[in-house]
Amino acid sequence: MVTLRHLCKTHARGQTMVSALQDVNLEIQYGEFCAFVGPSGCGKSTLLNLIAGLDMPTSGEIVLDGRSTTTLTSAEWTRIRRETIGIVFQAFHLVHGLTAEENIALPLMLRGDEGREVRKRVDELLERVGMAHRRLHRPAELSGGEQQRVAIARALAHRPRLLLADEPTGNLDSHHGADIMALIRDLATSGGQTVLLVTHSLQAAQAGDYTWTMRDGQLLSRTPRQAGAVAL
Amino acid sequence: MPTFIKVLVLILLSHLRQWPLRTLLTIVGVSLGVSASVAVRTANVDVLRSFEQGVLTVAGPTTLEVAGDDTGLDEQVITSVRKVSGVISASPVIIQTAVRMQGTQPGQAIQILGLDLLDELHTRGFQVDQPETENQLMDMVDPQSLFLGEALANEWRLAVGDDIDLLVGTGRLQFRVVGILQEKSDRSSAWERMAIMDIAAAQIVFGLVGKIDRLDIVTETSQSVEEVRERIRTVLPPHVTVARPANRTSQVEQMLGAFRMNLTVLSWVGLLVGMFLIYNTMAFAVAQRRREIGIYRAIGMSQPRIAVLFLMEAALYGFIGGVLGSAAGIALAHELIILLSRTISDLYVPVGIGANSLLRTEFLGGIVIEGILIGCVVSMIGAIGPSWDASRTTPVKALAPGDYEASQQLRVGTLACMGMVLLLGAGLLSWPGPIGGVPLLGYAATLCLLAGLACLAPICVSGWHRRRYLGRERAVSGVMRGIAVEHAARNPGRNGVTVSAFMVGLAIMIGVLVMVRSFRHTVEVWVTDTVLADLVVAPSMWLRGTEIGTVGRSLPASWLGILASDPDIAAVDSYRDVRIEVNGQRVAVVSRDLRLHAQWSRYLVRSGDSSESLNRAAEIGGLLVSEVLANRLGVEEGSMLEVITPSGVRRFPIVAVFYDYSTDGGKLLMDRALYQSLWHDDLVTVFPVYLRDGAQLDRVKARMTTLLSTSDDGGLPPLVISNVELRKEILEIFDRTFLLTYVLEAIAVVIAMLGIVNTLITSVLERRREFSTLRAIGGSSAQIRQLVLWEAVYLGAVGIFLGLIGGGFLSLLLIKVINRQSFGWTIQMIVPTASLIQALLLAALATLVAGYFPARWAARQPIVEGLREE
Repeated sequence: MVTLRHLCKTHARGQTMVSALQDVNLEIQYGEFCAFVGPSGCGKSTLLNLIAGLDMPTSGEIVLDGRSTTTLTSAEWTRIRRETIGIVFQAFHLVHGLTAEENIALPLMLRGDEGREVRKRVDELLERVGMAHRRLHRPAELSGGEQQRVAIARALAHRPRLLLADEPTGNLDSHHGADIMALIRDLATSGGQTVLLVTHSLQAAQAGDYTWTMRDGQLLSRTPRQAGAVAL
Repeated sequence: MPTFIKVLVLILLSHLRQWPLRTLLTIVGVSLGVSASVAVRTANVDVLRSFEQGVLTVAGPTTLEVAGDDTGLDEQVITSVRKVSGVISASPVIIQTAVRMQGTQPGQAIQILGLDLLDELHTRGFQVDQPETENQLMDMVDPQSLFLGEALANEWRLAVGDDIDLLVGTGRLQFRVVGILQEKSDRSSAWERMAIMDIAAAQIVFGLVGKIDRLDIVTETSQSVEEVRERIRTVLPPHVTVARPANRTSQVEQMLGAFRMNLTVLSWVGLLVGMFLIYNTMAFAVAQRRREIGIYRAIGMSQPRIAVLFLMEAALYGFIGGVLGSAAGIALAHELIILLSRTISDLYVPVGIGANSLLRTEFLGGIVIEGILIGCVVSMIGAIGPSWDASRTTPVKALAPGDYEASQQLRVGTLACMGMVLLLGAGLLSWPGPIGGVPLLGYAATLCLLAGLACLAPICVSGWHRRRYLGRERAVSGVMRGIAVEHAARNPGRNGVTVSAFMVGLAIMIGVLVMVRSFRHTVEVWVTDTVLADLVVAPSMWLRGTEIGTVGRSLPASWLGILASDPDIAAVDSYRDVRIEVNGQRVAVVSRDLRLHAQWSRYLVRSGDSSESLNRAAEIGGLLVSEVLANRLGVEEGSMLEVITPSGVRRFPIVAVFYDYSTDGGKLLMDRALYQSLWHDDLVTVFPVYLRDGAQLDRVKARMTTLLSTSDDGGLPPLVISNVELRKEILEIFDRTFLLTYVLEAIAVVIAMLGIVNTLITSVLERRREFSTLRAIGGSSAQIRQLVLWEAVYLGAVGIFLGLIGGGFLSLLLIKVINRQSFGWTIQMIVPTASLIQALLLAALATLVAGYFPARWAARQPIVEGLREE
């Protein structure tokens, strides 16, 4: 599903260049749930941003679905995100003025889906994330956990093959964090999605089939999931 | 305090660096407002000052002036006045206009002053550069000799001994330059743009033998000028005035009062709209920096200092805007002075082109300081509200996370109620009459109207749309529109201010448009109904509005016979127009053959029938009075009016009041026979000519031109103008008058547009994260562009809606209150649909243009950086 070859990313910070990713090579198969852990600034989020096409690598190659993305234009990336990728953010990033159901419908509407189909899919997702009773509420009227449920539903609305979750529990307490991770795991497994989870929480990382540890922009080690950890 | 100033400068500079584009837009908006205000004020003052300088320079040591009406004075008054105790000297003056001929084409007009040169060569403040020859004295008094001002001589490349062709009245005469006229001091003055000749020569040349235009008197310094003035009055006929020279300036100032006031008020519109812009910028700054404010408060900055911090930032914008606006205003003033001089000459009194005296280096500093003051004051007024808000913010609230707009709890309902009260106030203020001839309450009503609508803007922004589930939208554009409207409606405070600024600009544009179009329509109807003569024979410079004195504005009475003898001409009227004073008002006395006019043409009388009124006035020796004059003097049909004529004081019955739009000074109409018996004036201003059926207008016109230019009294083709040409000319003068209005309006609208750009940039900056989220979940850059454009369209639509309402009411105020109270004209209101649609399309287009750049910018922002935004 995702192949990374010699991926590098450097940022300019003032006068100096900072290396965020250094020669990252990785292969992730269809349906895998892969977690990335590491301290702040180790390059986890940068890695996700590059895979989502939100940022461009300095060098190296990203292959999605067997297709190299090196020469993709902005419009082609937009199409890939509409069809293939769903993203969950740490800060939820819901559109403030829209209700829960409208936020979930947004990716479908952005690609021009028909109203009836959109409504059906939104209803289904609201039920699955347990937010049907809060469908007409705006983000400001929802708790952090509820907002993240809506954000997950939004990320899955267009049935993406690849779900990218960037610190989805970072803004939540441990109880809600565990709920959210369970939800992601449950939805991804039932939908057959490939999931890339970035987190600094080792507990949250246990939801993955395996965990990559990162430091200073490099992948250090791959650890398989411990038995019984899925129940977290 | 000095430490605080250091802190202030430090913080201000960091703010300016933080938002350079918004800072630039705000400064440009302020500077545009300042430039309009500075330019109009400078031009207004300059035109009047040039007139004043001209009067005072020529007056020299004169302490009193004796003047008659347009028909001049009998020169015998000189002897009577000289005998009055306290009079040192009484010098006769003739002042007339001539036009320099360049080949067969008339060129620039100049004033020629006839003075007693033998007596006054060294007393008036000029010096003459004349070669010393044996015939020097004879040259001086020769009717063909002329002393030409140095500036004109240089401009026209003429030197002593050169010939110059001048059009004097209807005749073309050749003069010889016998000397160059210079100002005694180093400064340039009115003398340098004039010509002088000896008084006796001037009487011959201008056909004024036995007459003078004015008598300039020097009184003894030991005696009170007022006492001498009273003594002089006793030896003069009643219609002759005695006044100080400066009085002429104040008369003109008074005459132009309403016109200048309206222009000044219109020039303030840009400042008003600029104030909204500043408010918006500062409100955003306060919102943006609320955490910063919390930190300042937490580390010990007092509430007043927080307010001062923001006020100083606004003042800084005002300062820079003031400097730039003054520079632009000075550049604009150059053009405005020409336009204004022309308009004032067209409508009121020949003032000549302003001498740009205010635009000399020594005055520039003053203008710039004035511009800076205006900029600072306006900006600080605009910033009072946001600064007050900033100072009241508690540190805990400021440091807490959350939406600023929500924390502000803008009371849109309370504001809307205030708006309704203000609108009610506007209605009440429009009822009472003017105060001291100025529609002060009308202006107050206008302010209340605009302020009221501005207060209603937030509720319109937040309550305009009807929410519905976005999923029902079929097209993607519907989704983007929904999000855009939702966002705009969620920020009624900031967006309300933007919409208000736009609404004010648009309302004034629409209000003035309806007023001008209605006025034009009224004038067109009036012209069509009353200007019925097929041809008008007039002095060649009649339409140029530059003539001073009788000669340039009159034709010999003998032409009546020449014209009447043409077989194609059915009737010829003799129209005479002179200016006199009635109850301190400068009034045009128009005389014509009323019975003939009743038969061939008409006046738009307020009540009754035109023909009956005209015949009756001719029969009983009555007057018809223009509506403007009737209002000013408080007279009506059936009243008696006292007029001081050269034959003494006479009381006339007023037979009818008629609508007239040719002058705002008012008009008296009487039969020509009555006028001649009282004024002893045989001259004619124009001859309206009526042709027989079947006569060919062009042929008669050509024949008249040839015949009159070869007649005994002729010499140069007079202006023979057809009915169609005359109507066109009248409307051209009208359009020229309002050109200035359009310029000032355009400036206000541009500032309002900057307001929209400013708001959208603010919105885009604030929503970078939202846009990036949309991009991350599959939105394209085109969709982001659409989103911002829809927001612009929404704000524009609310602004246009309010602007239409405001414009409609404003046009009513302008037509029924302000114009009526300022000038006294009745204007028939029309709705110029086509022009209104054009204006609205222009506004909509401007909104889209204002939205396009922020939209493009938003669509190009990097996604990752936007997602990182807190």
